[in-house]
Amino acid sequence: MIHLEHVSKIYPPHSVGLQDISLKIDAGELVSIVGQSGAGKTTLVRMLIAEEPPTQGRISIGGWDITRIRSSEIPELRRQIGVIFQDYKLLPKKTVYENVSFALEVAGTPSKRVKEIVPQVLQIVGLEDKTKRFPTQLSGGEQQRVVIARSLVHRPKVLVADEPTGNLDTLNTHDIINLLLKINDFGTTVILVTHNREVVNALHRRVITLKDGLIHSDHAQGKYIL
Amino acid sequence: MITLWRIFVTSWKHLARNLWIALATIFVFMMALLSVNVLLGVNAMLEKVVTLLEEKVDMTVAFKPTAPDAILQQARFYLTSLPQIKSVSVISPEQVLADFKLRHAQDPKILSALRDLPANPLGAQLIIHARQPDDYAFLAQAIQSPQYAAFIQSQTYNDHQSAIARVHDVSRQVRIVGSVLVAVFALFGLLIAFNAIRVAIYTQREEISIMRLVGASAAFIRGPFVLEGLWLAMLSLISSGAIIYSTVLWLEPILTPLFGGSDAGLQFFFVHQWSRIVLMEGVGLIGLVMIMSWLAVGKYIKR
Repeated sequence: MIHLEHVSKIYPPHSVGLQDISLKIDAGELVSIVGQSGAGKTTLVRMLIAEEPPTQGRISIGGWDITRIRSSEIPELRRQIGVIFQDYKLLPKKTVYENVSFALEVAGTPSKRVKEIVPQVLQIVGLEDKTKRFPTQLSGGEQQRVVIARSLVHRPKVLVADEPTGNLDTLNTHDIINLLLKINDFGTTVILVTHNREVVNALHRRVITLKDGLIHSDHAQGKYIL
Repeated sequence: MITLWRIFVTSWKHLARNLWIALATIFVFMMALLSVNVLLGVNAMLEKVVTLLEEKVDMTVAFKPTAPDAILQQARFYLTSLPQIKSVSVISPEQVLADFKLRHAQDPKILSALRDLPANPLGAQLIIHARQPDDYAFLAQAIQSPQYAAFIQSQTYNDHQSAIARVHDVSRQVRIVGSVLVAVFALFGLLIAFNAIRVAIYTQREEISIMRLVGASAAFIRGPFVLEGLWLAMLSLISSGAIIYSTVLWLEPILTPLFGGSDAGLQFFFVHQWSRIVLMEGVGLIGLVMIMSWLAVGKYIKR
């Protein structure tokens, strides 16, 4: 599903983001990528969503080589990969409904279809009664659920969650992780980037540990070992 | 089609939800437009002043009392046929005498001397208005052709030569300075508008990057911003137009006494030139705003 071959990212002049990373993530997996700050987790996410190209190596997602993806192809890639951010990245001047529908509208989805899908995904994340609120009128956990709803509208095969619980309390963290597990149960590959030890240890799923831009360990049922 | 409709709807929603930024931008655009139009108005009034001055300048050719009426009419006909001539009028010897007496009503010696004379010592006069102040030199020479020179007593061109030259210089300088100032103000106006749109889009850079992250194409992101720029430019054009028109209507009667009873030329200028002004300012502002919006948004759509 996701294949990285000898991927390195060097920031000028000599700062190493990632160094010779090779890994495979199969369809339907839930993989935690852990590591301390500066280990290269966010760099990896940014390359998976084509925010940055690798300096060396090759990245492919579902057979699509995105190593040197053209600028015009990036929107198409991002419609196929759901992304959840720690700082939510919601559009502040759009309502909950509009934030979610925006992801469909950019893809030219007919209005009728938008009106069908958006209430469905908002129901999945439990926000069907807050559709007209603006992001600033929601709690952190609710905002993160809007982001998840937005990332689900295209029924992505891959969902990348970059520190999705970084700004949340324990209760909201638990809700969000349960949502991610539910999404994974539907067959979506989930890449969870986190430094939350409890979350990783409770999952009992594959854990890839990054340290100084290198893969430190990769265990099928791993724990947070740093 | 659905995408175009969404871009259109989004542009209005965006404008409504960023109302303060929109109002601030419209205000800046209006300031730029008003400064250019105020200068255009001042320029129009200066042109009017110059025209009034030019109209006051004339050349008088005084004929000898012995000059036959045929020569007078011939000279008039000849001058009228010249392209430099705006008008030529004949004043009869009787009228010239009457005007002379009126001018010297307070001078009994002159009046008494006139009464002692057996006949009217003054001949007829031609009052000549040229189209341009610098045409007077040519006309002064033209009337001195041998055919008429023998019958001409005097002409006032030499007396007025320096005044005519000064009016000519002033009008030329006013036109040059006016054009340069309008061009400079237009440039400043464009720079102000250019900066206003950059600032407006800068405040929304986060939103632009988020749109990109959720899969919006560059055109889908840019579209609403470009259209929003178009609406803002059009709103500021309409608002400025309304302000200018109502100000001109209010100001014109107040200025009339300063122009010796003549209109100040403001209403005439804006009513007759409005389509040209709207076209130039509209095309300039709308074009700049749309291009700037396109480019400024592009700065935040890196990948």
